[in-house]
Amino acid sequence: MKLRAHRFKQNALEALANPVLQASMKKAKGKFVDKRAIAIKEIDDFEATREAAKEIRNRVIENLDLWLEKFEQAAAARGAHVLWAKDGAEICRLVVDIGRKHGVKKAVKSKSMLSEEAGLNLALEAAGIQPVETDLGEYILQINDNEPPSHIIAPVVHKSLDEVADLFQKTHHTPRKTDIPQLTREAREVLRQHFLSAEMGISGGNFLIAETGSVALVTNEGNGRMVTTLPRVHVVITGIEKVIPTLEDLATLMRLLPRSATGQSISNYVSVLTGTKAEGESDGPEHLYFILVDNGRAEVVGSEFQDMLRCIRCGACMNHCPVYQTIGGQAYGWVYPGPMGSVLTPLYTGLENAIDLPHAATLCNQCGVVCPVKIPLPDLLRKLREKQVERHLRPWFERLAFRLWAWVASRPALYGLGTRFAVRYLKWLADGKGSIPRLGLAPEWTRGRNFPTPEGRTFRELYAQRGRA
Amino acid sequence: MSSRDDILGRVRARLNRTPENAVTGRAAIEAALAMKAQGPRPAMPSQKSALVERLVEKSLGFSSTVERIGTYNDAPAAVARYLAGLDLPLRAVVWPQLAHLDWSGAGLTVEARGAVDRDPVGITGCFCAIAETGTLMLCGGPESPASVSLLPETHIALVPASRIVAGMEEGFALARAELGQLPRAINFVSGPSRTGDIEQTIVLGAHGPYRVHLVVVEND
Ligand code: SF4
Repeated sequence: MKLRAHRFKQNALEALANPVLQASMKKAKGKFVDKRAIAIKEIDDFEATREAAKEIRNRVIENLDLWLEKFEQAAAARGAHVLWAKDGAEICRLVVDIGRKHGVKKAVKSKSMLSEEAGLNLALEAAGIQPVETDLGEYILQINDNEPPSHIIAPVVHKSLDEVADLFQKTHHTPRKTDIPQLTREAREVLRQHFLSAEMGISGGNFLIAETGSVALVTNEGNGRMVTTLPRVHVVITGIEKVIPTLEDLATLMRLLPRSATGQSISNYVSVLTGTKAEGESDGPEHLYFILVDNGRAEVVGSEFQDMLRCIRCGACMNHCPVYQTIGGQAYGWVYPGPMGSVLTPLYTGLENAIDLPHAATLCNQCGVVCPVKIPLPDLLRKLREKQVERHLRPWFERLAFRLWAWVASRPALYGLGTRFAVRYLKWLADGKGSIPRLGLAPEWTRGRNFPTPEGRTFRELYAQRGRA
Repeated sequence: MSSRDDILGRVRARLNRTPENAVTGRAAIEAALAMKAQGPRPAMPSQKSALVERLVEKSLGFSSTVERIGTYNDAPAAVARYLAGLDLPLRAVVWPQLAHLDWSGAGLTVEARGAVDRDPVGITGCFCAIAETGTLMLCGGPESPASVSLLPETHIALVPASRIVAGMEEGFALARAELGQLPRAINFVSGPSRTGDIEQTIVLGAHGPYRVHLVVVEND
C-alpha cells in the first residue's frame, strides 16, 4: 500500500467533509465499543488475563531470536518451508517465485496486513497471477480499484450500503440489490468459484506457535478455512513478532482477541494449522510456506518502543479513539490506522514520513485502557513527539514559535506583560460573550469549537492581588 | 548474506545476544515449553451434566441449534427429522468415521468422503467440544475431512457428551495425549459462518455453512 501518511492533515479535512464517510462512522461508533464492554464481563478476572497476555507477548520478544529459531525448527519438522523477508519487495519476490514454481494462475487471499504492507496484489498481477481477496470487506475494496482498507478488522466500515450495491452491480453485471443478505450471497457465489479454482491460498497469521510450528488463523466468515483447505499451495505471511510459545498461550490470548475486536466471546472459526496434507487426507495443501517478515520490526526490538511489538491486531484502540471515530482509517495514510497506526507507521516507515501521526491523538488514553496486551499507546506517542523535536522534524514555524515562547517565558517581566496584553485582547475580542467563535491568529483552533473567554486578568495578577489581601 | 541471517542477526544485536546468554535463553524456552503454564481461567463447572448445559446454552448464543439424544443409534433418525423439518435434502456427506451408522435405515442417502461444492449437507463428529464458548473442536484426517464441516450449507455435528471439556486447554491436552502430534488442521467452530462487513449488519453464511446443528449424544 502506498504511504500517504505525510498528507494526514489534508486527508483528515477531506474525511471531515465527506458526508457518506461521516454517516458510516456515526453508525459504526458504539457498536464495537458496547459489544466489547459486555463481552469482557464474561471473563472473571479480566485484568489478570490482560496481565497474563502481556507477559506471554513480552516473554517472546525478550528472546525473539531464540523463539523464531524454535518455531522454524518445529515448522520444518512438519514439512513446511520457512522463508524470511526483509521488506515488502522481498515478500512480493518470494510469493511470485512460489507461484511460478507451482504453476499458479490464481491466488485466493484471506486477510493479511503484511500483504498490504508489501503491495502484494499489484506484484502478483504484474507476474500474471490473479489475486482474489476473499474477506467480504477486502473483496469490496479490491473491486473498487484496490481502495485501501480503513480498519484492520472491518476494512469497509467507512462504506455505505448504497456504495456496495453500486459496486456489485457494476462488477458482477447483476441487477442492483440493496438487501444485505442478498449482497452477501452474491459475493459468496462469486468467491466460491475462486476458492475452488485457485491453486494457491495466501493468508496472514494471527499467531505462530513455537511449540508445534503451527499458525493460528482467526476469522468469522470461514474464508481463512477455505484458503487453507482447498488450494494445493498455502503461503502464510506474518511479522516476526507474531510468535507465541505454546497452545496454552493461544488459549489465553483467544480469551482476549475476539472480545477486544468484535465483542464476541470467540470468533466463529479458529484454526490451528500444522504442516501439509497427511497420507490419505482428501483436503489440505501439499505445500506449505511461512514467510517471516521484518519490514521494520527488528529495529523496534530492544528499543524504547518495544512494547508496541506486543500488539495482537485486535483494533480495539481504534474503535475507542475519538480521532479515529471522527476521521475514519484512511486518513492515517497507511495499513494501520488509529492509535496503533500512529505508532507503527512512523516506526516502520520512518518518522519523517509520518510527521503528523504522533499528533493525531488527544492522549485521552482510551486506547491504553482497552488494549488487551496493555500497550501504553499515549506514552509511545509522546515519545515519538519528543523524537521529532530532537531530530528537528517539526515544521519551521512550529520550531520558531516554540523558540520564541521559550525566549519570552524565561524573561518573567516580559512574560507578565505579554500575557496581560493577551488576556485583555481576548476579552475585548469576545465582546461580552462567553466564548470566541473565531480566533484570527489561529483559525484552526476554532474550526470545530469556540474558544472560552478569559476573565481579563492573568493568574499572576490575581495571585498578586489575593496574596496581598 | 541471506535475509534469514540478516534479520536474526539484527534481532540478536538488539537483544545483546552472546553465546552465554543464548544458553540461558534456550533453557528458559525449553522450560516454558515443558511447563505449558495456563493463564487465568474463567470458572467452569466440574460436573459433566453442567458442562453439557453450558455447551448447549453457548451454542444457542452462536445461532446454532441443538438436539439431545440417547445413543449413537438414535442419531440417523434425529438427523433425518431435523433435515425434513427444514425442508432440506435428505442427502449428505458424512465423515468416514461415522459411516457405520444406519443412515439409510432413517431414509438418508449418505456418502462417506470429503465434501465437494454442491453437497447440501455435511455430517461430522467432533474430536471434543468446549463448554466455555460452545465450540466444536474438529481434527482433520483421512477419517474426518475438514471440507465436510466447511463446504455444505448445512453442518450437523454429533457431539458425544463424554467428550465435552471445559476449555481449549483441555482440548489441546487431549490432542497431545491421544494423537501424539497435532493433525494438519484443528478447526474450532462456533456456530455458522458470518460477516458484519456491510454496515455492521450480521449476516449468516458468509462462506461456510448457513446453519450448524449439534446433536448431543448423552450415552455414547
Ligand atoms: S495496540 Fe492494543 S488495542 Fe490496538 S490493535 Fe494492538 S493489541 Fe489491539
